[in-house]
Amino acid sequence: MEWANDGKSRGGVLAHLERLEIQVNRSRKNLEDLQRAQAIESALGTKIHKLRCLRDELRAEAKQRQARVKASTVNVEPDQTPEISEQEIAKRRKENVKAILQAYRFTGLSGKLTSRGVCVCISTAFEGNLLDSYFIDLVIQKPLRIHHHSIPVFIPLEEISAKYLQTNIQHFLFCLCEYLNAYAGRKYQADRLQSDFAAFLVGPLRRNSLCNLLSFTYKVEPRGQSFPFCARLLYKDLTTALPTDVTVTYQGKRKYCTFCSHD
Amino acid sequence: MYQSDSEGWASSKDLRSHLGHLESELRFLSTLTGISIRNYSMKTEDLTNTEKKEKSIMKVLQRHRLSGNCRMITFQLEFQILEIQNKESLSSVITDLNIIMEPTEYSELSEFVSRAEERRDLLMFFRSLHFFVEWCEYRKRTFEHFKERSGPARRGVTSLQPVVCRDWEAETKRLHSRDRSQDQCTKEKYPAAVHLPEGAASSCMAVQSTCQPGFELVIVWRVQIDEEGKVLPKLDLLPKAPQQALKLDRNRVLETAPLSFRALLGTLGIEAALESLIKSLCTAGYD
Repeated sequence: MEWANDGKSRGGVLAHLERLEIQVNRSRKNLEDLQRAQAIESALGTKIHKLRCLRDELRAEAKQRQARVKASTVNVEPDQTPEISEQEIAKRRKENVKAILQAYRFTGLSGKLTSRGVCVCISTAFEGNLLDSYFIDLVIQKPLRIHHHSIPVFIPLEEISAKYLQTNIQHFLFCLCEYLNAYAGRKYQADRLQSDFAAFLVGPLRRNSLCNLLSFTYKVEPRGQSFPFCARLLYKDLTTALPTDVTVTYQGKRKYCTFCSHD
Repeated sequence: MYQSDSEGWASSKDLRSHLGHLESELRFLSTLTGISIRNYSMKTEDLTNTEKKEKSIMKVLQRHRLSGNCRMITFQLEFQILEIQNKESLSSVITDLNIIMEPTEYSELSEFVSRAEERRDLLMFFRSLHFFVEWCEYRKRTFEHFKERSGPARRGVTSLQPVVCRDWEAETKRLHSRDRSQDQCTKEKYPAAVHLPEGAASSCMAVQSTCQPGFELVIVWRVQIDEEGKVLPKLDLLPKAPQQALKLDRNRVLETAPLSFRALLGTLGIEAALESLIKSLCTAGYD
């Protein structure tokens, strides 16, 4: 479309000038808006700053007051009631600690400190049955030595202490624990066999003090005509309560049967 | 803090020193057993009836509550003990055992706990727990040690980009021809990337060679508790290699790696075996 020269071009220029004027007005308005927004922003900024200062002042004052209150309570003469309750607390704590010390027997090892060193109590159990406890009194010196103990003579105490006592007390005690628990388990089983299965046994149950060699004759039926079997149980591993070798013989014909519970 | 009467003061002092003595006993037992008992209480219930009294049999049911921790694992136990006293003897039997453990992430523990509850084997529970925790801590320390001492080498290694193993033969020729001294990494670190996939308490450690990122060795270290409560570490090696490497492996080194690793463990022990394994990764390309 072509613009005509005179009127139209003048209209063109005017229109253009109009457009420019509108643009200027618009940008001026934008600038004013921007300036207004900035003013508001800076006003808010100052307000924030003022509020923060106020907050810090209040915090400091609160702290000061707290400190004053604390200081004042310390200077107050202690009267009877708080003192007694402190003793009560200590008493209760003592009862609690005593009870916990007793509870340690359920872990297998408990004990108390002595003037010489420590007296450790080893508890044993088998299948939920709590069995005998043994004690070992150690003198804390260099070298560590055993003052006295209640460990049966057939438990290899010298061997175990030679291996571990000087280097690792924990290992020494754990090892002893293993042996004693296994022995207690074997003894318990042998006792149960003797008492609960008396009707099946023919003759006495023969056993050694370590209870790792048992020999007995038994019948499959308590009464009646069944033939007696001779059983021999050997527990080679002293740290377990299960036999490693079992031999059953049937008189006349030897029915040899062994099983090993360990490779 | 002074009291008005000296008698009161003396007993208070005694109380405090006695308490101190008891607390040091507690600390000793806690260190010895590895178990820290924090709380314990017991209630008793007399179950003796008149019939039993005539036969001079006494029955008492004890209800015990115990809680504490073994390093990072906390436990809460409730158990009942039935005490029967007759003319000849006294018998004590654990008749019920309930164990709650936290955290529960150690999957190996849950089976062990149910076994202990079934067997009412309180002693074994504590003993095995102590050793289990010790082994887990040792595993954590060992893995962290190797993680700290490995990482991409600081200078000299050029192939930090993943090796595209399309032309494996050409690649190996190139590696063979490269000057070995260029790839000498700083003495303190192993030129391998160690990654613990499950985090700090991870049961496996992945080792990737920085020279040959296609190769990865995963060492799985489980701590198992067997039927009798014995705690044993069980280590396995899972090698990973690109397909073409497997084809070239005429001596079946990769196939037999897991077995060889077991043998290595037996000879060198865990730490030395892991160390030699990591070291072997960076020299693998040059043999």
